Amino acid sequence: MDVESALQHFHSMKISNVMSGPGSIPVVTDDTDIISVLKILRTRHHVWVVRDRESMELVGIIRYMDVIDVLLPPDVHRFKLGMTSKPMKSLLGGATTAGDVAEKQVLTIGGEETVLDALIKMRKYRVQVLAVVEGERLVGEISLRILIDELLRLLRVGGPQWKQ
Amino acid sequence: METVTWLLFALGISLILAKIGDSIIERYELPGVLGELLMGMILGNLVYFGLVAPHYLPIVSGEGFATDTTAIANFLAKLGIIFLLFLGALDTDIEQLKKTGLTATVSTIMGVFVPLILGWFALMELGYDSREAFAGGVLLTATSIGLTVRVMMDLGVLKSEVGAASLSASVMDDFLGIALVIFAVGTGSLIELSLKIVAFFLITGVIWWYLVDYYIRFAERLHVEKGVLGMALGMMFLFAALAEGWFAAAIEGAFMMGLTLSKLPEGKRLMDDVRAIGYGLLIPFFFVHTGAMLNLTVFKHKDALVLAAVLTTVAIVGKIIGRGFGAWITAWGRGREFLFTRENFWMSLQMGIGSIPRTEVALVDLMVAIHGGAIKPEHAPEFIAATLIFITVSVLITPPLLKWAFKREIEEARAAKTAQKVERIRETKERIREIKEGR
Repeated sequence: MDVESALQHFHSMKISNVMSGPGSIPVVTDDTDIISVLKILRTRHHVWVVRDRESMELVGIIRYMDVIDVLLPPDVHRFKLGMTSKPMKSLLGGATTAGDVAEKQVLTIGGEETVLDALIKMRKYRVQVLAVVEGERLVGEISLRILIDELLRLLRVGGPQWKQ
Repeated sequence: METVTWLLFALGISLILAKIGDSIIERYELPGVLGELLMGMILGNLVYFGLVAPHYLPIVSGEGFATDTTAIANFLAKLGIIFLLFLGALDTDIEQLKKTGLTATVSTIMGVFVPLILGWFALMELGYDSREAFAGGVLLTATSIGLTVRVMMDLGVLKSEVGAASLSASVMDDFLGIALVIFAVGTGSLIELSLKIVAFFLITGVIWWYLVDYYIRFAERLHVEKGVLGMALGMMFLFAALAEGWFAAAIEGAFMMGLTLSKLPEGKRLMDDVRAIGYGLLIPFFFVHTGAMLNLTVFKHKDALVLAAVLTTVAIVGKIIGRGFGAWITAWGRGREFLFTRENFWMSLQMGIGSIPRTEVALVDLMVAIHGGAIKPEHAPEFIAATLIFITVSVLITPPLLKWAFKREIEEARAAKTAQKVERIRETKERIREIKEGR
């Protein structure tokens, strides 16, 4: 497939056909201790935080970059009106669980939306990953890495498994 | 041409000095806003004492000092207040507000209304009219939780029941402090004002709460550079215009827009951009501008000092009694048998002391009250002086008072740490003995 037609097809693909499912994404419950979260973030770019594994109700996300606020002492931040949420994520400031440090308002996308919608959203809000949700339930994720893999698969240039 | 030059000069020098002042004061673990106010005060008094001609520093107001460009500086400062409140609301965690427990709720309400009423009556006793006295009371209502959070973190008690309740209370506290100023600046009959307030909160709080999502989706579809930011700020200014028109309090509109936007992840993602405009330009300018309004010659008359003494006393005592008693009466949800215990007394006192600091919202309320006419122009200098004094005193006395109030918890934590250390040394010695004995 040439690049142009591959991209056209790629942009119109539904998120539900591309996303990583709940079994393959990093998920912790909101009462998980921060040390366990840090262990996951040694190898992952982010962790989803859910209320419990049965309901998979999405609570928030902890990104790799959020670890900076977790590790910094709280007094490095300035406590000013409109700037109080970050210092509260500090381990030394008393944060103990995933729920304490997670960013609660998560950018989401529906399974029926397209790859183009996801890309536009990622560009607009400068994020690399979006939660795929059904109502409040986390059903998967769509990340730039997944999208790159999918495009390479369409172009059949990613690796031997895609040439079949 | 020349006026623009000096306006730009004043803006530049204000921003540079604001950031330097902020940095210096933060080194002493005090709110940086004091440094910004101090720098403003120095700049302003260069003009008031005749060392610099007013048109070189057109950020001061008052008779004999206003220039052609003063109105522009005033407007920029007003934009600073609008951005400050918008940002404050955008940073709010609505879910946390919903989870506010009984103790936090009762203590917040009492912690707002006790200093308000005490301040109101005390100022009327001093001879101010009822509207002005009420505005003075409103200045005392909103706690600035930042300093308390920092001190509690240092003391290791932020995660305590008192720390959690203080945090929870702070959101509602700000909300009430900002809302109450409407009653100070609003005009017309009480019924007319009440109807306007209900209509305003219906439009901006209830209807907009459901519409904001669609609005942001629409903004997203425009596909223009910073489209969502521009559309959000545009709507914020429309709300601010509505609030300014109805109550002479534009901040209410900015606050409501921020609050409704804070529920959306798309709204939260705007924070970095809004912070850049706010804390990079408009908010420090607002604080410098406010500091510059303090003409030190006001202290020639004892009225300003008397007002400062009264407001400072009421600010401290009113909050400790109001919030402390509010917490005490709920017995922290542990039933009647806990009511008269020593622990309830100390926890409630800690809660009260933690609510003493005032900074940003007091200054915002002060400016709204002055511009809205609730504080008369001839009394504005003494109110500015008194507010800056009670803000400074409140942030200076809180850390030592909190340390004193939490001394038992600190000693307990220290004792537990020492016991842990002793236990570790004992275990190590035991292990060495075992190794030596070849076990």
